[in-house]
Amino acid sequence: MNTVLILLPLVLTILYSLATVPILVWMERRIAGLIQDRLGPNRCHIKGVRLGGIIQSIADMMKLVFKEEFLPSHIKNKFYYLVAPSIAFMSAFLTFMVIPYADTITLGEQTYSMQALPTDLGVLWFLAFAGLGVYGIILGGWASHNKYAILGAMRATAQVIGYEVAMGLSLVSMLITYGTISLNEMVSYQTQSFFIIPAWGIFIQPIATIIFIVTAFAETNRTPFDAAEGESEIVAGYHTEYGAMKFGLFFVAEYIAMAASGALIVTLFLGGYQLPYLNTADLVNNFELLLWGIIIFALVTSVLFLKWMQKHNIFAMSGINETKLYTTLIIGFTVFAVILMSYYALANSSQSAKEIGVMLLQFAIFTVKLFFLHFVFIWVRWTLPRFRYDQTQKLGWNILLPLSLVNIFITAVVVVAGVNYGN
Amino acid sequence: MQNEILFFILSLITIVSSLVMISAHRPIDSALSFIVTLVSIAALFGLLNASFLFVVQIIIYAGAILSLILFIIMFLNIKDENLPDEKYKNYWLLGTSLIIAPFSAILVDLILRSNIAVNAAVHENFGTIKDVGLTLFSEWVLPFELVSILLLVALVGAVTLSKKEV
Repeated sequence: MNTVLILLPLVLTILYSLATVPILVWMERRIAGLIQDRLGPNRCHIKGVRLGGIIQSIADMMKLVFKEEFLPSHIKNKFYYLVAPSIAFMSAFLTFMVIPYADTITLGEQTYSMQALPTDLGVLWFLAFAGLGVYGIILGGWASHNKYAILGAMRATAQVIGYEVAMGLSLVSMLITYGTISLNEMVSYQTQSFFIIPAWGIFIQPIATIIFIVTAFAETNRTPFDAAEGESEIVAGYHTEYGAMKFGLFFVAEYIAMAASGALIVTLFLGGYQLPYLNTADLVNNFELLLWGIIIFALVTSVLFLKWMQKHNIFAMSGINETKLYTTLIIGFTVFAVILMSYYALANSSQSAKEIGVMLLQFAIFTVKLFFLHFVFIWVRWTLPRFRYDQTQKLGWNILLPLSLVNIFITAVVVVAGVNYGN
Repeated sequence: MQNEILFFILSLITIVSSLVMISAHRPIDSALSFIVTLVSIAALFGLLNASFLFVVQIIIYAGAILSLILFIIMFLNIKDENLPDEKYKNYWLLGTSLIIAPFSAILVDLILRSNIAVNAAVHENFGTIKDVGLTLFSEWVLPFELVSILLLVALVGAVTLSKKEV
């Protein structure tokens, strides 16, 4: 049990970062299809099972892995060329280590932290390794020895450095509000409520929220700030000369960076792993009631999902009958989950079982919020056109930076004047 | 024991990368090995429980300053034939190390004579942000403010110097 609970956040980090990449690629394509009024990839299948198109992303990943490793002959600095994607990947992955996935759990004597790295550095750790990610881009662009790559790397670097300032300053105002840098304590602050509004970062610091979300888009080089890889001007930017899994690492790193900033936004502004108004102790005390609520919710959603699936999954493939398989799986899984949960709801379960149950629920809440943020990221990408490069710089230095400074000033005045948010 | 092994590995990385930084021919090699030096020094801070210094070292030096330096080196687009022919580099290195040797001897002697207890227990909050902040703003307010004025002057100076040509 000891080892499991220590390893659990590490495994979750890998799941939330690496294993969500195929799902994110799938979401990106299907939501693009939805927004542009088409279907998106949905034909790729293994023996007739398509999983709504996820198999397509798996096929793409396989393609990247098994592609020939090709080294352009004009590359002189082979070491820098090869090490660049791994720096980008590593720093993106490391930013994920401090995100709390659930409240600290106490079983008997031992207390376990549900962060991969149980440190109270929190936000600072994120900033440190998000900053290091620039080296991957700079080195990749420089070592590619290609005008397009260098231009892309310069754009990306200037953008990341510029927006990092506004990001850091918007974080400072959040630190003043919460009075801590530990992400876990920030989440527990957000369980309070302010009249009837939950004291989430997005409600008590709307300006900082907007600045942080905008800078997060720019930091991760996502549209509307992806002039660094504007294909109509500079081919693919800093990874023009990269192929196979070397490109794959850059690609995955970009998605992990997006997932990490999404996770940080959830933690800072959307209440993290907590439900509004309820803190962990409330959840543990009303565990039976909570379970019955979840059972009803699970039944309703799976019936609705089943109906929706049977209505829409009409495209017949060769191989096994997909609709039948999914119906069996959904019904089987729901029945299994409901039986399991009613056992725990009826049997007078022990304190540690309750705590573990609440922990699992908090993982689920965090996941739902995180995927909502992913949806927002993708939604913005397919809605807004790309900013011109000078517009990006102007927005960063002339608007976001002064705005975040003013926000810090106002926050400091309010906090010093003794107005207490929450309670 | 683990700490000692880590310390030796990290200090080996620090020394080797700083040697490479001094002796490298191309500026980009120097800058990159300087990053390695800074990150491994940050790790040494982390090993000494100074977690705030660890993070600040990475954010400020490795994350911000060095990326600007690298950015400029990239911008200049230095070709190998533009670099000076450093024929007497090894003699220079030897000469300077001979000059520095007595000072290093004094430093080593000082460290050996000082009564810093090895593995002395530090109090629980040592090196955390709260502790560093309280010390900085209670005992060292004046130097702290003076340093920030110095930085401000440098900032204003940089802006005026670069504005001149417009």
